[in-house]
Amino acid sequence: MTRRRVVITGMGAITPLGHNVHDLYQNQIEGKSGVGPITHFDSSRFPTTFAAEVKNFDLAQYIRNAECWKHAGLNTRFALVAAQQALADAGVLEPSAAVDRTRFGVYLGSGEGSHNFRHLIESIAAGCVDQGNRVDYVAYFRRGLTTFVGEGEYQLEPHTTAGYLAATYELLGPNYSCLTACAASSQAIGEATEMIRHGDADLMLSGGAHSMIHPFGLTGFNLLTALSTRNDAPQKASRPFDKTRDGFVLGEGAGMIVLEELEHARRRKAPIYAEITGYGTTADAYRVTDTPPDGRGAIICIRQALKDARLKPDDIGYINAHGTSTQVNDRTETYAIKQALGEYAYQVPISSSKSMLGHLIAAAGVVELITSVMALRRGVLPPTINYEFPDPDCDLDYIPNQAREKRIQHFLSNSFGFGGQNVTLIVSRFAE
Amino acid sequence: MTSPVPDRRTVVTGLGVCSPIGSELTAFWEALRAGRSGIRRISLMDVSPLPCQIAGEITDFDPRKTLDKKQQRSLRMMARTVQLGVVTAAKAVENARFDRNRLDPERFGVVFGAGMISTELEDLSRASALAASEKSELDLRIWGEAGLREIPPLWMLKYLPNMPACHVSIFQDARGPNNSITVSEAASLLAIGEAHRTIARGLADVMLAGGADSKLDPLAFIRHTLFQKLSTRNDAPEKACRPFDRHRDGLVLGEGGGVLVLEDYEHAQARGATIYAEVVGFAAGFDAAKDGSGLARTIQRALAEAQIGPEQIDHINAHGLSSPEDDIREARAIATVFGNLPVPVWAAKSYFGNAGASGSSLELIGSILALRHGELPVTLNYETPDPACPIAVHANEKRPTTQPYVLKLAFSDLGQCGALVLRIERGANQ
Repeated sequence: MTRRRVVITGMGAITPLGHNVHDLYQNQIEGKSGVGPITHFDSSRFPTTFAAEVKNFDLAQYIRNAECWKHAGLNTRFALVAAQQALADAGVLEPSAAVDRTRFGVYLGSGEGSHNFRHLIESIAAGCVDQGNRVDYVAYFRRGLTTFVGEGEYQLEPHTTAGYLAATYELLGPNYSCLTACAASSQAIGEATEMIRHGDADLMLSGGAHSMIHPFGLTGFNLLTALSTRNDAPQKASRPFDKTRDGFVLGEGAGMIVLEELEHARRRKAPIYAEITGYGTTADAYRVTDTPPDGRGAIICIRQALKDARLKPDDIGYINAHGTSTQVNDRTETYAIKQALGEYAYQVPISSSKSMLGHLIAAAGVVELITSVMALRRGVLPPTINYEFPDPDCDLDYIPNQAREKRIQHFLSNSFGFGGQNVTLIVSRFAE
Repeated sequence: MTSPVPDRRTVVTGLGVCSPIGSELTAFWEALRAGRSGIRRISLMDVSPLPCQIAGEITDFDPRKTLDKKQQRSLRMMARTVQLGVVTAAKAVENARFDRNRLDPERFGVVFGAGMISTELEDLSRASALAASEKSELDLRIWGEAGLREIPPLWMLKYLPNMPACHVSIFQDARGPNNSITVSEAASLLAIGEAHRTIARGLADVMLAGGADSKLDPLAFIRHTLFQKLSTRNDAPEKACRPFDRHRDGLVLGEGGGVLVLEDYEHAQARGATIYAEVVGFAAGFDAAKDGSGLARTIQRALAEAQIGPEQIDHINAHGLSSPEDDIREARAIATVFGNLPVPVWAAKSYFGNAGASGSSLELIGSILALRHGELPVTLNYETPDPACPIAVHANEKRPTTQPYVLKLAFSDLGQCGALVLRIERGANQ
C-alpha cells in the first residue's frame, strides 16, 4: 500500500521562552536563556535551586471558564492553550470547520500531573514509626483521608490531558497518550504520523505537555545527580556539548502541532509549514541507568529515520540534538551522529534548544521540533548557548552562541528517553 | 479515503498471565472454567480505615520463580507493577517457544499499557519523618537537605511509567520500537492495536504487547478510593464485581499482567509457531458524549476492517467495569451496533476486578483460551438484569463457542476507547 504524506498545518507552544511559537523561536535566535531561580516552591536547600519555568502564565488570559480547571495540573493547563493555538493556526479550532472530527485524533507524549507534595509527605509522616523505619498504614490512611483531595489526585492520571483536549476541542478520532520519559512527545508525533500515513486518521493533534518542576521531580533528578548544580549562575548552567557541562536544567511547558494528510490539507487550503518525512524508533535494551557506550540504539534510530525519509546523510541541513547537557548524553549523541552520518557529521550544523529552554522532559521533543520548523521556514538556525570550552569527545559544529543563517531543506531531531527509548524525526520543506 | 488495510498479517503466538485467579495459563483457564473469583479482602496491607477493603489481589506473586539470578538482582529497582511486567513478559516469551538465536533483536519490540506507578511509602518515610511530623507542617528546607540523604539514589527510576516496557526490553533484548501507552483502563488494548500496526507496516516482526499494573499499594489505593466509585461490598468480596447487574455498586481494584506475543504471520509460519489467533480488526476512538456513541462508531470501524458481520462474532469481551454509569454507556454502544442480535457479552472483570493498565490484555487472553477450548465461561454475579443495560450478558452456564471471532472492548472514563477483533484458532495445545 502506498503511504500517504503527512504535513504540519498548525503549531502552538507555551514555554519558558514565550507563550507562543513566534516568541519561542525569536528568543532562541537571540540566544536568550529561560532559566532562573525556582519560584514554584522553596527549593533553597535542594542541591539545585533553579529551573526554566514558564513565566506569568495565567490560564484565564487564554480560555473561557478557566475556573473549571482549578484542580488541573500545569501540564494540562499548558496543553489546553498550546492546543488552542495550534488548532486555531490550522483553521480547525471551530467545530464548524469543514473537517470530519471523527477522523481527527489526538496523540500526546505527555507527562503525569504532580502530587500535592505537602499532603503526601505529611500523611506519610503521620504514619511514621521509629523515625520512619516503619510506616503504620492505618495512621497514614487516616491522615490521608482528611488531607488528600480526590479531584486533585485524579488530575495526576496521565490519560487526562489527552482526554480533556479531545473533549474540549471535539477531536473524536483515535486518542492516544504515551509516556516514554524524555522521548515521549517525539514518539507521539512519529506514531501519529504513522496513523495518518496508513489511514487510521486524517488529522492528528500531537505533541506533549509536562512540568516536573515540583519537589518530587527535583528530588528524583537531584538524587540521580542528573541536574546541573551551578546555583551561582543558573543561566550558564545548561551548556550542551561544552566540556564543563554538569547536568541538565529542568524546564516545563507544552508544544502542540496539527498533523494532516497532504491532500486533506490541500483541499481545505490549509497553511503547510513542513512535511514529516522520517521516523525512527528503537530501544537500547541495555540498562535503566545508562546508555550503551557504543550508542547502538541511537545510531540505528537515526539510520531508520533516514531510510524512512528516503534521504542520504548529506541531505540533512540541520540537526536539533537531544543535547541535554549531561556528560554522558552529549558524548554518546555526538558519537551516534558520527556513526550514523559518517564524515558528513562534521559538516552539519547541530544545536541544542535545551541550552536555552532547559529540558521539558515529555514535552521536550515537540517544542524542539517546532523551533526547528521555524528555522526551516525562516532560514536562521538557533544556537547552542553557553558553549565556551570545547570537549574533545564533542567535536562537531554545535552552532556556538550565535544563530546562523542557512537555508535548509531537511532537518533531523533526536529525542532519547531515560530507560532507553530513542526517537528520531526528519522534517522536510514542503515541495510538490 | 484510503482504507487502513495493513500489508502484513499479525498473529498471536504466545501468551503470558499473572492474575488473582492464576499465574499460569492452565490455572487461569481452570479458574475461569470453574467460575472461581479472585476477589478477596486485601492481605497485602491493612486498609481498615478505608471504605473499600477488597481487591483482586495476587496472593502468591513471587518473581524469583520466573527470573534467573542475574535478573533477580534488578528486582529491588522495580515497583510491584514493574515486577509483574517483566514476569508476565517472560512467561509469554517462553510460551512462544522462540529459538532466540534466530530472533533479530532489532525487529523485536515492546508496547505496553502503563499508568502512574506509586512510590512505596518506605522509600520516603525516613525523609518524611525528618521534614514533617504530627505537629509540624512539612519543611521543604529540611527535606531538600537532610531529607534527600535518606532516599535511595535511584528512587525515581523505580516508578517511571515506562519502566515495565524498559525492563522487559532489557531482559528480553528487544531493541525494536518500545512504547508505553498511558490511556488508563484502555491502555493495554490500545497498546495491542499499536503493536499490531507496527508489525503490519513492517517495522518489526515480533512485538510483546499488553501490560502490567497494580493498584495494591498504600498510595495508589487511597488515591483511587478518593476519585473512583469503588464497591464497598466488603462482606462478600467475590460478589462485589458484578458488571451489568442491576445491583452493582462500583468497581473493584486489582492487579495483574497480560502479555501477548504478536508476530508477523510469515515469520511465525517459518518457525513453525503455534498460532493462537490473528488480529483482523482494530480501531481507536473517543466517546466524547460519554453516551456510548463514540464507542459504537469505534466498534463499527473495527468490524469494517475485519470485514465481518455481527453474526460472525462468537462473543463480545466487554470492558464491563461494574460501575453504575460506565456499564450503561458500554451497553448502549453494544446495543447500537448489534441491535436485536443477541451476541453473548462476557465480562472477565467479574473474576479479578479492574487490573488497570493490564486489564484488557488479561481479559483478552481469557477469550483466546475460551475459543481454543471451545467453551465460554460465565460472567460472575450477573443475577438481576438492569433494564438500562439491554444486552445479552452471558451468565448462567458455560456455552460452547460457535463462531471464530471475538470482539474486545475497552474505554477510559474520559472516553478514550478501542475495539479489537481477533480470529481465534481452535486447539487446546498451549
